[in-house]
Amino acid sequence: MSSLDSAPSAPKPTASVKLVLLGEAAVGKSSLVLRFVSNDFQENKEPTIGAAFLTQKCTLPNRTIKFEIWDTAGQERFASLAPMYYRNAQTALVVYDLTKPTSLIKARHWVNELHAQASPKIVIALVGNKLDLCNEGGENDEEEDRRKISTEEGRKFAEEEGLLFFETSAKTGANVRDVFLAIASKIPEEIVNKRGGVAGAKGRTGAGEGRVDLESRSGENNAGGCAC
Amino acid sequence: MATMTTSATETCDVLIYGTGLIESIVAAALAWQGTNVLHIDSNPYYGGSWAALNLDELKAWTDRVNETATNNTPFSDAYLYISRNLDPRKYAIDLSPHILFTRSDLLNLLIKSRVSRYLEFKPLGSFHTFEQDSFEKVPGTKEDIFTSQTLTLLTKRSLMRFMKFVIDWEQNTAVWQEYKDEPISKFLEEKFGLDGPQIVELVHSIGLLPTPNAPTELALGRITRYLTSMHVYGNFPAMYSMYGTGGELAQGFCRSAAVAGAVYRLGTKLKSFDETTGEAELDSGEKIKVAEKVISSEGTVPGDEEITRMVAVVEKDCKEWFAEGESAAVVVFPVDTLDGNRFAVQVLVMGSGSGQCPPGQAIWYLSTQDRGEQGRKDLYVALEKLEESILRESTENFEFDVNEEDISYLPNGLPVISSVRLGESLRNFTPKESLKYLLKLTYSQRLTVSPIEPTAASKLIHSVAPSIDLAFEDIVDQAKSLYELVTGTTDDFFDVDFEDEDDDATATAAAADSDIRDIAEDNDEDVAGHHSDFEEVAGEMTI
Repeated sequence: MSSLDSAPSAPKPTASVKLVLLGEAAVGKSSLVLRFVSNDFQENKEPTIGAAFLTQKCTLPNRTIKFEIWDTAGQERFASLAPMYYRNAQTALVVYDLTKPTSLIKARHWVNELHAQASPKIVIALVGNKLDLCNEGGENDEEEDRRKISTEEGRKFAEEEGLLFFETSAKTGANVRDVFLAIASKIPEEIVNKRGGVAGAKGRTGAGEGRVDLESRSGENNAGGCAC
Repeated sequence: MATMTTSATETCDVLIYGTGLIESIVAAALAWQGTNVLHIDSNPYYGGSWAALNLDELKAWTDRVNETATNNTPFSDAYLYISRNLDPRKYAIDLSPHILFTRSDLLNLLIKSRVSRYLEFKPLGSFHTFEQDSFEKVPGTKEDIFTSQTLTLLTKRSLMRFMKFVIDWEQNTAVWQEYKDEPISKFLEEKFGLDGPQIVELVHSIGLLPTPNAPTELALGRITRYLTSMHVYGNFPAMYSMYGTGGELAQGFCRSAAVAGAVYRLGTKLKSFDETTGEAELDSGEKIKVAEKVISSEGTVPGDEEITRMVAVVEKDCKEWFAEGESAAVVVFPVDTLDGNRFAVQVLVMGSGSGQCPPGQAIWYLSTQDRGEQGRKDLYVALEKLEESILRESTENFEFDVNEEDISYLPNGLPVISSVRLGESLRNFTPKESLKYLLKLTYSQRLTVSPIEPTAASKLIHSVAPSIDLAFEDIVDQAKSLYELVTGTTDDFFDVDFEDEDDDATATAAAADSDIRDIAEDNDEDVAGHHSDFEEVAGEMTI
């Protein structure tokens, strides 16, 4: 096992937070998450299959956020995302491709969907990906600048909608961690301090009140209600 | 998996038409087994006949049912009233409400497949029987029987004897063999000396059977289902999933299938399927080459069973009927308690904690196996009784005196007020207010079946509609038999070696293959090294 000794020993409040990915096909949604989750961890073991979602902790000075990251699993391609996907999502990453104008139009669509379907308090980050394909000002003569959406355009949209805004490259890793860090800092305090955060060991988030954890069949005491 | 040139929709091994619960389980099972699945639905939502709909969807559904109803469609005779100014998105009306017993094969599958991790389950411990104009809490445990004020010592002894027998009734064949196909009421009466109310409670509320004439063998299974489910997770035998159980389960299995590589398209009709060429045509005009089979929820024919349903959204939270900390209840009107009803009327009450309606409201789902006019009449009488009862019980300034003899004590010393006495006191009460209905819906639902018995050689297989039982029954078996028709075996049904998560120390990764497929179709792929079907990433990082 790799050493995890950088983790501080003092207990901090931990919250499980559901994060959903949205964006046109092929803008790099999964790649961003893979970059975020794998970057700091070298051990590549045999493929782990079947986990319901990726989880990743993000430790801030005053608290720990455990992201439960839901991938679209391709269901966005034919507009077939289930309501379940948006449910209890506290945060969302709406991703577009800096080299593809239609993807920003699609991003607007997803932001509207989130306003309609997700919780009103959701923290949304707008992310323009594939920054590595943008060769600003022709710095590198051999590669053309494929940017089609200016930083200003993205930022303006984000400001209008009250979204966090970043331009990233999943390929080089540029700004990827900053996105998640910014989201983690934006999570409202009441979510972090909620009791549900502790029960998040199984990666459960959201309205946990009175819920039954199916994976602990220990008989009594597991039903909600028992406030003890 | 997808290659650079082939779009995943042009060919598939199995095309599944309809995203009902059974089809969705089959889709996930096949996808995890490695079958290339294309899963489509003509509706713009998941769940088919199992779906829970918001009010806009429900209006459209009602119109569609009435425009297209034939003898072969699962729904007919839909009448909908919706009061004005309701927020359509705040409701989830379950078209086929079901509850999940805590000891059942479906629950095991939910855990094994990890689909349960997508869902939020809540406890359901309140089962009431309507008797002599009041609701009785069903004594579902030995403690309940022990503390009951209404049962005579003799009855208590008989009930205890029955409870002891039924836990392993399948081994005790000698006791019931000769009653196998006889009515359960006869068996309970002759073998255990039980009578009236006890039989009614065992049959209707614990067994959730429509009549006391149900055959003994079947009925014993149903009664045991309830009793063995007590105390698995707590002091309740059943659960439901928030926002509409069947629809949510279907969505969960579809998501699982998608994670395993299945492709999803809602709002897409299967126009035709040519069994000889294996070519399917979608309403978009696209042609799909199907290598193995098509599983379709359409083209079925009506079976023997039919159910009449009513849904009422009321402006009352109905918490009087729920157990502490819960938000749902089952109320059963036994045979002959509503102007001569021939079948029990079952009511599933869902409070706002179910996520199906806003706070201060509740949804009553009533159903009976009686048909047409008679069925609807029974449901309306039951509705009146429910209304009377909730108005009595929820009147705030209603006071009554509790006498010492109304109180009994649990073994742990806690006092309980006899609910029977409560019911009697309330009987003389006349409500001053009326109940406001925000929505009323009635419709008929038919259990549909395959027109022909499918064989392993059939290219086109039909799936079946929701079961008529209030609890999920036979779902996993039905999914398995469809799976077997495709793969030839059930040995590898969900035989997936999911790795165990070490809960907190390491974060666990998922099969994040969706965008990998997307990337594969995009020559401008931006990240190298993600071409395996499943990426594994695990770890904890500190920022």
